[in-house]
Amino acid sequence: MSQKEEHVPSCDATDCVEPGPTLSRRRFLEGIGVAAGLVAAGAVPAVLTAGPATAADSGSAESGNVLADVIEHDGAVNYPGKPVYYADEAGDQKWAMVIDVKACVGCRKCVYACIKENNIGRNAGFGYIQVLEMEPGKIELESARSDYKEGGQPDKWYLPVQCMHCEKPTCVYGCPVKATWREPDGIVVIDYEKCIACRNCIVTCPYSARHFNWYEPEVPKNEVNPKVPLEEKAGVVEKCTFCVQRTRNGMTTACVEACPVGARTFGDLNDPESAVSKLISTRRAFRLKEELGSEPVIWYVG
Amino acid sequence: MAVALVTTPRPGVKHFIGIDFDFGALKNSGRRYWGFIAVLGTFIVLGGAAWLLYFTHGGSVMAMRDGSPWGLWFTNYMYYVGLAAGGLVVYASVHLFGAEQFRPLSRIAVLLAGVFVMMALLGIITDMERPWRAVWMLLTPNPTSPFVYTGSAAGIYMVICFVDLWILITGFGGEKLARRMTLIALPVAIYLHTTTAFVLSMNKSRELWHTAMMVPIFLSSAIASGIALLLISAYVLTKVTDIRFKPSMFRSLSTLLSTVMIIDLFLITVDVLSVFWPTSASSGHTLRFAEFLSGRYAWAFLPVLILGFGAFALLSRRKTRHLPAVQITASVMYVVAVLFKRYSLMAMGFSYTTLGQKLPIYFPSAAEVFLALGILAFGMLILTVGVKVLPMEVPEYEDAEVTSL
Repeated sequence: MSQKEEHVPSCDATDCVEPGPTLSRRRFLEGIGVAAGLVAAGAVPAVLTAGPATAADSGSAESGNVLADVIEHDGAVNYPGKPVYYADEAGDQKWAMVIDVKACVGCRKCVYACIKENNIGRNAGFGYIQVLEMEPGKIELESARSDYKEGGQPDKWYLPVQCMHCEKPTCVYGCPVKATWREPDGIVVIDYEKCIACRNCIVTCPYSARHFNWYEPEVPKNEVNPKVPLEEKAGVVEKCTFCVQRTRNGMTTACVEACPVGARTFGDLNDPESAVSKLISTRRAFRLKEELGSEPVIWYVG
Repeated sequence: MAVALVTTPRPGVKHFIGIDFDFGALKNSGRRYWGFIAVLGTFIVLGGAAWLLYFTHGGSVMAMRDGSPWGLWFTNYMYYVGLAAGGLVVYASVHLFGAEQFRPLSRIAVLLAGVFVMMALLGIITDMERPWRAVWMLLTPNPTSPFVYTGSAAGIYMVICFVDLWILITGFGGEKLARRMTLIALPVAIYLHTTTAFVLSMNKSRELWHTAMMVPIFLSSAIASGIALLLISAYVLTKVTDIRFKPSMFRSLSTLLSTVMIIDLFLITVDVLSVFWPTSASSGHTLRFAEFLSGRYAWAFLPVLILGFGAFALLSRRKTRHLPAVQITASVMYVVAVLFKRYSLMAMGFSYTTLGQKLPIYFPSAAEVFLALGILAFGMLILTVGVKVLPMEVPEYEDAEVTSL
């Protein structure tokens, strides 16, 4: 919250209230709002004032305010300083994803596209993405089902879950040997050559996003993606990489590409004009298990 | 007399690093002894075969899967680390608090502790598919991972135990050094149990583990089961060797045991209460814990309470608690109760995925069971041979004082 309060001097009360042709009613109200926030010196008023401002004139410098915490946080955790060998070096983006749960029909197209793109063993028994069939009226995981029959029922809603690439990743904190880390652009990756297979990251992850290769991954020869490791993944943990091999080369992720209803959006939080930034700041967005404080960077909008 | 037993040269005794290894005793031992060794050897070979299978087929031969990524090896890790605690408690009470009645036990206690921690470490090593990568734990340890602390603590504790054993047997440094070693060993033991609890409790992803109560529960369970194991071992020793202990020692040990036991039971009861109390209950917790009270895991958790309170009741009956049979029964009950408790604790994290999906109940596969039995047999082999070859009998205290002066 301190970051929010630091923003206040740039538009302090005297500056904004100063009479002149540039002063709009909205700016005036916003100034009062900020001042009120300052007086209250509480977290809630500060958020409230930031909210209307971004909704009103998105594109201005303030539009990123709601994401300031995420953006200003140094993304790298336990970063060894060397890039993932099968992808380009991290750029200055801060990758994030938005999933529109109102649009998602639970077809699992993303799941299958992901399995194909990322050389997930066809015998592995897992995919990076799990789609949960949710009961209406609640976000309660215990009553959700991941093994629902395909097709999507009209009285249910669907919540795709994968690695959230958390700002404060418990898996990275839990890895005893620093075999997994968060890259400067926010992607949490695993060094398959270093993983000691203790599976502590699977235990610490609140989203069941990490998977161990109990079997040697088998992929039909003609379906192998040469850009992604395969043999190295036997006997170690793997998970969603935000398709690091694609996204750092200007492409989007395989799941975004595969979604037939356009429920998924991938982009750069550092860019206030990006689709994800706009969606997060203009729509009713929430994150799964936000109360745990691991700051996931996949938002859901409804 | 006991001192003479150590120093008089006898055929087959090899003097090495200050200890008289009595290999002659092995030659003179009977058929039953060698039969037992042969059984242990068979299990070690089977365990080795299971480990080989794990190497060649990967984790597919295990019953563990993403939902329950840790299984029998983790249950055993917690269990063995806990059982090792008893050794230290006894050792510390003799050399730090002057509980002389436990002195005859000190050597066997420290040997037990060292071997059990070694078995716990073997469990981790054999669970890794590429154990040589464990070197990264030393090269790039992650300070935020509880795993680093419990692993290193177990390693340090094991070394301390074996060094302690050497000090106790050789009398090197006398009573003074033995006492100083306790001052190192006791904090390390607390550190070991605390960090083992951290592996569970430091997970906001696993509701039932995520309680600081885990730390005192680990300490109390460890000490209670450790003392119970020591009591059983002492009893077994009087049956299979010439070593004799006074009935008063057993009585003190069982009094200590019942005290720690009731603390342990109290803590777990309080924890269960906080899960279900209406002002504290949260749906995720109660759903998961209900599995252990009345659901699919009730067979594993209810024995913890039944055996635990039963053992305490046995030891609190004034009329019968001095009887060896009662003490042994109560000890066995508690050692079994804690094994069930370790399994339940492991399963509490894994009965549902973190996304709330109900998982099939975890039972170890044959490969896992044989691997665990192999490790256990290996530990037992060291104990069996150790008790025979090493001078386990502690000289009478008066003599000990004379030699240490």
